[in-house]
Amino acid sequence: MFETINIAKGVNVHVNETTQFKTINFSIKFKDKLTKEKASARSILANVLQHSNEVYPSHTALRMVLDDLYGTSLYIDSSKRGNEHVVTLNVETVNDQYLSEKGVLEKVLNLMYIVLFKPNFEHGQFKESIFLREKNAIVQRIESVFDEKTRYAQQRMMELALPNHPASITSNGTIEDVENVTNEQLVAEYNEMVAENEIEIYAVGDVKPEMIASHIREFFHFKDREKTIAVPPLELVKPEQSHVLEYEDMKQGKLHMAFFTPITFRDEKFPVMQLMNGVFGGYAHSKLFVNIREKESMAYYVSSSFASQFGLMFVLAGIDSKLEEKAVKLVLEQLEEVKKGNISDMELDQTKALLINQLKEALDSARGQIDIYDQYMELMDKFEPEFMINRWKNVTKEDIADVAQQLSLEMTYFLSGKEDERDA
Amino acid sequence: MHKVEFEQLEETLFHEKLDNGLNVYILPKKGFSKTFATFTTKYGSIDNHFVPQGGTEPIKVPDGIAHFLEHKMFEKEEGDVFQEFSKQGASANAFTSFTRTAYLFSATGEIDKNVKTLLNFVQTPYFTEKTVEKEKGIIAQEITMYDDQPDWRLYFGIIENLYKNHPVKIDIAGTVESIQDITAEHLYTCYNTFYHPSNMVLFVVGNVDPEQMMKLVKEDQAQRTFVEPTEIKRIYPDEPKEVAIKERVLEMSVQKPKVFYGIKPEKLDLIGPDMLKHELAAQLAYELLFGRTSDFYHHAYENDWIDESYSFDYSLENGFGYALIGSDTHKPEILIKEIKHTLQNAVEKWPFGQEDLDRVRRKKIGFFMRALNSPEYIANQFTHYAFNEMNLFDVVPVLEGLEVSDLQNAFALVSHEPQHSVFTIMPTKKDEQ
Repeated sequence: MFETINIAKGVNVHVNETTQFKTINFSIKFKDKLTKEKASARSILANVLQHSNEVYPSHTALRMVLDDLYGTSLYIDSSKRGNEHVVTLNVETVNDQYLSEKGVLEKVLNLMYIVLFKPNFEHGQFKESIFLREKNAIVQRIESVFDEKTRYAQQRMMELALPNHPASITSNGTIEDVENVTNEQLVAEYNEMVAENEIEIYAVGDVKPEMIASHIREFFHFKDREKTIAVPPLELVKPEQSHVLEYEDMKQGKLHMAFFTPITFRDEKFPVMQLMNGVFGGYAHSKLFVNIREKESMAYYVSSSFASQFGLMFVLAGIDSKLEEKAVKLVLEQLEEVKKGNISDMELDQTKALLINQLKEALDSARGQIDIYDQYMELMDKFEPEFMINRWKNVTKEDIADVAQQLSLEMTYFLSGKEDERDA
Repeated sequence: MHKVEFEQLEETLFHEKLDNGLNVYILPKKGFSKTFATFTTKYGSIDNHFVPQGGTEPIKVPDGIAHFLEHKMFEKEEGDVFQEFSKQGASANAFTSFTRTAYLFSATGEIDKNVKTLLNFVQTPYFTEKTVEKEKGIIAQEITMYDDQPDWRLYFGIIENLYKNHPVKIDIAGTVESIQDITAEHLYTCYNTFYHPSNMVLFVVGNVDPEQMMKLVKEDQAQRTFVEPTEIKRIYPDEPKEVAIKERVLEMSVQKPKVFYGIKPEKLDLIGPDMLKHELAAQLAYELLFGRTSDFYHHAYENDWIDESYSFDYSLENGFGYALIGSDTHKPEILIKEIKHTLQNAVEKWPFGQEDLDRVRRKKIGFFMRALNSPEYIANQFTHYAFNEMNLFDVVPVLEGLEVSDLQNAFALVSHEPQHSVFTIMPTKKDEQ
């Protein structure tokens, strides 16, 4: 799929030359250790860099040049994986063979260089007005989580269950830490990001790997850097409370449950745990969906998910606030079934078929290819879908029951409608 | 089978209208492992007043019935259709909009079987009072979930403001109360009226051989019997030009206010090429006025009147449509004033020329090319266009033919003050809790 070319120590270019897409996709990923402070500073940084630069000093000027390049999309986002914080420059441009105009690719590569290396500085610092505006934008982004109650409930549970742990630190950091970042600190963070972070550069489209690598080598001047992020031994600490009930002014109750599992992405039983999650609550044929939604008519959404970086499994359901106890009981009953190995051949086969389908489908988009390749890089040099597919195929019901038995429920969080309405 | 080549886009579309009236489109995609298929009826939440198949007098059906019917299509006497798709490695889903109900799957294998499952489950209705009753609890939770989503409430709030009589103002899923009235008989009536193959489109895109796929669909359809197609009589009320409600506020559990400024277009009877031209011209005009390179955006963002949630949209169907501009904002009054100003200034003196048009046109073409990487986009958009007698692949040539005056004319249809409305969501006042 990807051909990898090393252009400096700690800097790799991965290119998938393909005619599958009408566009060319680039991602440049800067990886650093995840802390609240770093996440806060780097989120501001991502916004400041995508706002404007020395060559296109206003937001409007930068957006106009992107429009002229056939609506090339360019954005910088801030994300996390395990104990890594990742700032990614994402660019997608139309392959100019579909256009009457040529030379678009060179202009886009040059623009990527400008965005990363020609920041909008004034007296050696980021232009103050932009710095302040983007800081404020990140604060507002963090605050807006409250409006989406499912996201908010999940975040509340994580803060309560695993405070100060990478599993609960969000990729945007915290309001307090964002507000504390100074312009000087942001410049230091920027310098560290471009000079010291590990960098993975991806390109997908009808492009030659050597051409992309030599262009980046020649113009971007990335220097050698040391690998700084160790593979995490992320200890999960038992939460202080096992049940939390909170209220907001809303109609539906949000049930969130967190389970610990010793199995993570790096464990050889990772594929078994993926199947366990699928059988239990990952799909429309799963036990949670069939029993809680279809049989009991209690919920519109009820599902489980496996956060493999941390060894966590979550169950989420939107239910009537009066029915919390009943829902928890039903969820645990279904888990008990999986633990006992009461899984039909059909449930197992369906789950395998859908996991395989999901992986193959994800590889039908350029972003999917980049994300999957980048994620599995830690486990293998060259990701091939067959590797996972063969491992899933070999999993038995007994294997699934074994991993299910290792799950422990550590927190039940319920965000309920108003107190007076709970038994209305 | 007709074959249409779009040379510059390097796409070939195959089409055939079958004897039973079903329109089948197939778009092979090289290099893709997945196939995506949608089976869509031109029947949505706005079709609540009609002459039922075989009848003579119009009837009105409970709010939310098209969506309810969509849910119930998945349940059969022998079990749940999801199970069958899962067994065949396919992810299945469905959605109901104002004007359409679509059933779909995506899969990387067993495509023939999955296409047959798709056709079969949508063409074999099975409704009983018991299964209908059971679904009410699930849909009630779905409605409640949407009720708690401020962005959904904001969207529906502004549409309710804009439309006085047109059923677009009714929530697609209905209300917890309205769905209680739905019976199995209602479902059959709606099904028989709107699920005739002549009112439907099958679109298959992805890793398929078009000849073989067309043959499979034809053979499948030939085995089934349908009544003779008749024209469906839908009844829509008269809608005045001006908006129903100028301004409304809702309180919710949010951290800061949310605003939508909405505009009801003046001409709502467009269809076919006229509709495509008007919609694209209006979208470009809005891009120039409110897009990320506009003076409006620059001022509003730098002054913190809008944030990252900012959006604007122009959308048109036959009979209704809307332009929406909105954001989360600490300064709702100022933001509304600035939007009004921007519109007013453009009415007084149109500020854009050829260079501006060329730029946003390039942007729009680029967006379209990117979207063509997505089988989901192609299938859904193509069907939406086909139901309005337009062709998705005409987008680029029509864009290329637009002139500045077209943008001005399109804008003129959405610039009159009586067609404007504002909906705001305010944080619940703490002292009242």
